[in-house]
Amino acid sequence: MSFAGTVGPLVPEVIVLAAALLVFLLDVAGARRRELVGAISIAALAGALLVVLADLGFLPLAALRGLPPSVLNAVPAAGSAPLYTFGSLGLVFQGLFLLAALLVATASLSRASDERGAPIYYGLLLLATLGMLLVALASDLIFLLLAIEVTSLATYVLVGYTRRDARALEAAMKFYIVGALSSTLSFFGASLLFGAYGTTNLYALRAVAGSVGYPVLALLGYGILLAGLAFKTTLVPFHAWAVDVYDGAPHEVSAFLAGGTKKIGVFALFLVFLGPVLYVKAGGGSPFSGAPFDLGPTVQLTLAVLAVVTMTVGNVLALLQAEMKRMLAYSSISQAGYMLIGIAIGTSPALAGATLQVAAHVLMKSGAFLVVAAAAAIGVGPKIVDWQGLGTRRPWLAVAFALMLLSLAGVPLTVGFVSKFVLFSAAVQARGFFVWLAVAGLLNSALSVFYYARVLKVIFFEPAPGPLPARAGDVVGAAGPTPLGAGGIGYGRAVAIGVAAVLIVAIGLYPQPILGPIQSAAAHFVAGGA
Amino acid sequence: MTALPLGGFLALSSALLGVGLFGILTRRNFVLLLIAIEIAMNAAILNFVYFAAFAPVPALGLTGQEIAVVLIGFAATEVAVGLAIVLALHRLRGSINVAQATDLNG
Repeated sequence: MSFAGTVGPLVPEVIVLAAALLVFLLDVAGARRRELVGAISIAALAGALLVVLADLGFLPLAALRGLPPSVLNAVPAAGSAPLYTFGSLGLVFQGLFLLAALLVATASLSRASDERGAPIYYGLLLLATLGMLLVALASDLIFLLLAIEVTSLATYVLVGYTRRDARALEAAMKFYIVGALSSTLSFFGASLLFGAYGTTNLYALRAVAGSVGYPVLALLGYGILLAGLAFKTTLVPFHAWAVDVYDGAPHEVSAFLAGGTKKIGVFALFLVFLGPVLYVKAGGGSPFSGAPFDLGPTVQLTLAVLAVVTMTVGNVLALLQAEMKRMLAYSSISQAGYMLIGIAIGTSPALAGATLQVAAHVLMKSGAFLVVAAAAAIGVGPKIVDWQGLGTRRPWLAVAFALMLLSLAGVPLTVGFVSKFVLFSAAVQARGFFVWLAVAGLLNSALSVFYYARVLKVIFFEPAPGPLPARAGDVVGAAGPTPLGAGGIGYGRAVAIGVAAVLIVAIGLYPQPILGPIQSAAAHFVAGGA
Repeated sequence: MTALPLGGFLALSSALLGVGLFGILTRRNFVLLLIAIEIAMNAAILNFVYFAAFAPVPALGLTGQEIAVVLIGFAATEVAVGLAIVLALHRLRGSINVAQATDLNG
């Protein structure tokens, strides 16, 4: 255990932080070429991803960091309270966060070359990624909330970084106000938990949840903390900001917010609420009697209700949208509901399903928003009807987008189907009222097919009205003065979209290499390994 | 472990949180919003200090005083970012009124 609590093994985090500082220094030194800072960022993120994959056993490169088995998944001794620990589920999430950041960093290479502030953009992207990596290691509530804020502070600025776009700045302002409100609530909830239990260590909180202390304070603390984290995770009724922010932010930043940073809220919910959900030892008392009181059923019911409400409201509102980005934003909200199902159930298969849902969502949602960015670069407007005829104009882009939407709807042979299958079968296995969660999820999946199918119909079966910009060269949209490669889309975007689309199908056809490690990581997590 | 001896203190921090939340929800001037956020944040910080002072046993891990100092630093960082956004908005629009920012029909 001498390893935990030292800087030594924080290899991916140090790589990402060093790259962020280097990029900011280059800005000061005047080396502001997008290709240069982009290449540094991509190299750093890829290096960090290699280290994480090696630790998870995907690569035979244990020498990269060589976390000894005594550190990975080690439960801290009683009486010790480390700020961070290395658990395999955290490493899985680190891998997903780095994948999302890599997709966005690659696609951002194609942003207009005359746009200023490329080093700021990439530096903030790296800092946000650093916060996400720290969230995945957290074993202390305050460390967790501060890591979330590292990401949040970086993304507030990232949304409005151009400083020229009134819509983006307005989105940054709304994002900031809601984010500050959410962090205040989270810290207030944490302070009540500290008062109830005398510690902010997540292991200690997990061990004592409900057993001692002041149950009223604990219930209030968990409730307020849930509200704070629900803002970050865009759970209904704390979701309204997300649509405006995803809509107003630059497309690549929307991809990062929806596909990447939102997931830190999901992992934070895993860390914080698994304790009360799993705590079933005591019980019988009431929150006011001072006797041991089992918080579990209350927390589970709250999470389950939030999950169903989030799925349903997100899907119904997505049906009503006329703009592509707002539709994707509401669909992103409804997907957060699926992830919440896994936490409400709290069994190891359910957490595996929720984690796979997060993995699927990283690919599908960042991919979909990057397709929006690519479409905007070739002059496609923001409304869904503007996408008419894309299937004939840009068949590859249209096919990639179709794969992402089908995966979001949960059609077989895509990763979205696998994740929903694992999740809903875990809900059915858990019996009791969880079966109804599976039913609600299935009904919602069916509902979501309507609006995804409508988009596919517009893209493939409705001819575009009027003449079109034919190929690269007659670019009308937000592209720079020089036409971008890959048919006006830009090579960076083409690569990122291609990778996401290929992974969606590859994991959908052959999920075992991903599913196996996620299942064993989830089992460790439920057993107390964090 | 029966009645809390610090009810009055908790009432104060709850009131601070209430004032802060009310300000966040009703103020339309961005700078006043920032002040409201600070007030609400201080409620959480005060809580950590009370609980550390009244705790029957020492805290496991971070103590309340440590957390309070870290959070004071965090609150300052948060306001710095908020002021940066205010400045950018003011340059672009000449106004820092939140209610006038309605391009995103939310």
